[in-house]
Amino acid sequence: EAAAMWRPLAGVRRSPPALCRGLARPAPPGSVRQLREAEEAAPVFQYVGKAAKRKDRVFVWGFCYSGALGVPSFVKPDAGWKKPRRIQPTPYRLETEEKISSAACGYGFTLLASRTTDITKVWGMGLNKDSQLGFQRSRRDRTKGYEYVLEPSPIPLPLEKPQQTRVLQVSCGRAHSLVLTDSEGVFTMGNNSYGQCGRKVVEDETYSESYLIHQLKEFDSRVVQVVCGQDHSLFRTQKGTVYACGWGADGQTGLGHYNITSVPTKLRGDIAGVNIIQVSSYGDCCLAVSDEGDIFGWGNSEYLQLACVTETTQVNVPRHLPFKIGKIKEAACGGTGNVVLTEEGNVFVWGYGILGKGPNLIETAMPEMIPPSLFGWSDFNPDVRVAHVRCGLSQFAALTNRGELFVWGKNLRGCLGTGRLEDQYFPWRVTVPGEVVDVACGVDHMVSMVKSFI
Amino acid sequence: LNAAPRRAPRQHIRFLPAPDGGAAGLVATRVPVLADHPLVRGPRFRQLKIGAGHRLDMKASGVFVLGIGHGNKLLTDLYNCHLTKVYTVGGLFGKATDDFSDTGKLVEKTTFDHITREKLERILAVIQGTNHKALLMHSNIDMKTQEAYELAVKGLIRPMGKSPPIITAIRCLQLALPEFQLEIHCLHETQQYLRKVIHEIGLELKSSAVCTQVRRIRDGVFTLDDALLRTQWDLQSVQKAIWDCQLKVKTEIEKTLG
Repeated sequence: EAAAMWRPLAGVRRSPPALCRGLARPAPPGSVRQLREAEEAAPVFQYVGKAAKRKDRVFVWGFCYSGALGVPSFVKPDAGWKKPRRIQPTPYRLETEEKISSAACGYGFTLLASRTTDITKVWGMGLNKDSQLGFQRSRRDRTKGYEYVLEPSPIPLPLEKPQQTRVLQVSCGRAHSLVLTDSEGVFTMGNNSYGQCGRKVVEDETYSESYLIHQLKEFDSRVVQVVCGQDHSLFRTQKGTVYACGWGADGQTGLGHYNITSVPTKLRGDIAGVNIIQVSSYGDCCLAVSDEGDIFGWGNSEYLQLACVTETTQVNVPRHLPFKIGKIKEAACGGTGNVVLTEEGNVFVWGYGILGKGPNLIETAMPEMIPPSLFGWSDFNPDVRVAHVRCGLSQFAALTNRGELFVWGKNLRGCLGTGRLEDQYFPWRVTVPGEVVDVACGVDHMVSMVKSFI
Repeated sequence: LNAAPRRAPRQHIRFLPAPDGGAAGLVATRVPVLADHPLVRGPRFRQLKIGAGHRLDMKASGVFVLGIGHGNKLLTDLYNCHLTKVYTVGGLFGKATDDFSDTGKLVEKTTFDHITREKLERILAVIQGTNHKALLMHSNIDMKTQEAYELAVKGLIRPMGKSPPIITAIRCLQLALPEFQLEIHCLHETQQYLRKVIHEIGLELKSSAVCTQVRRIRDGVFTLDDALLRTQWDLQSVQKAIWDCQLKVKTEIEKTLG
């Protein structure tokens, strides 16, 4: 009767019509033991082994039209759907053939260098109107060179032993660049109208499409660091002495006069006899750190960078800056502001501009500390410390020991990499998919060297 | 609860005829109001309004806050305080399932012998960093003001409205391959989101992970010590618990909502 009518439907299991596509079958209801055996029999995939090495990557962001980011499709799209991109606001991965150990950002161009013993050690991209990237032969006309280089192109250096010499460091200024090697001195290229390349100034020299790469070898000992200011160059040797050449109208050469110097000359003043372990410059002001934690400065002081020792706006002899903030480990100079890192891991800023302590602090002559809680320090993470500080023209960058990158300052054409185009008044994290090892700041773009997580 | 002693009945003054009849007429006497008589009123509590605090799903365990009667209004205030909750989350490397927990259907098995504590801590540091950024962005404060800078220094910036789940702090309590345990402080989350985070940590480490245990150990001001066990679900313990936490809740609400 009624029971007999319903019985045929009792054993049938139907999935609702909406879920049934006619191909997939629901999993057969096995017992727990069957499921466990099926699981154990499943294949195991291995994505990375125990001895896997972490990969080195390069990320770039900022203004694209100068070609300084090294991605040609931002300027000249290679697919129909791509549009020219004026600004890259977040980090973008740049594929490189070799591991890049040193990078430097100039005013609209970038240099990447690797410690390899291959023939090609340095690549350049961006503006090349003054041959700051060497001579880049144009493919269309073999007698002319490129004015804008859109992707990382090798720079041929006139090395005596190209398969043994290694490039240690590169540095870029407004229109010139320096390449430091371990055994063949320093190579300079680019604009030399103020002698910043370390050779005699030639009247009416055309710098574009020039093959000339000058080699500098006459220093008292091996050069271990090269730094480019806007139109001057600084060389630091192993003995702790500093040499300078280039434009000196703001006293940035530190040689006691305000003239051009076309041959690297040793600096005296307060740093005579002091073992300098780091030099820094980007605009017209220079800072040097000694091994005892003292800091010396010279150059432009219109923005109160050196106002703690003198009222004059140009200082042409290195002066000791008597700050009582502890032993200083690293210093970085920007266009209008300076930043130092002490041994305890505290960051101090002074100068003019967006210094990183909110919109109310615009200028100060004495260093002000940025609270460590802004760099990720808290009761939960008490061992987060800032490891390095870097400066661009109007922005600052700090790297922590956890591999995080914090930026602040004027966000000129998206150079901060935060994803927004507004200025940042206090340190803000940049999301990079990896642990940031080093960062180079330019005027409107930044390059970072990153290690992947695994 | 109904057997507990009641409030004394109200008294009112009635003018009743004098007990010795006739002579004085009416005498003012204080008598209890008949409407307050237990037989008239009936039992004091016929039903109780009980409200639940933040959700806890079937596969998770831990502190679960309930409000009784007036406590429901305090629950709403506590919700608007947007305090963080702390979870202990246990995970297992080597498996990936469809619902991110170990009872789900197996999707993939992977190796995990390359995982070290250092790599895990690196990943956790990045998760904390990106979530800290999300915390600042969803708090709806204009980043260009001095006030935003000061709050950021003190670490008091928090989203005081709706926001996606945010992890304020995360750290590894123990790692014994293939098992591991994390402590997660979070806001506006669901337990399934925490299981998804475990799955994503597994993916980031180029392996796979499933979540075996989610246990809430703190919900705002209520910790495991205040929580009542299954054996303590009786009237005295509940009354004592309510009495003990009254002061805490009041101070927290005053501090946050002003």
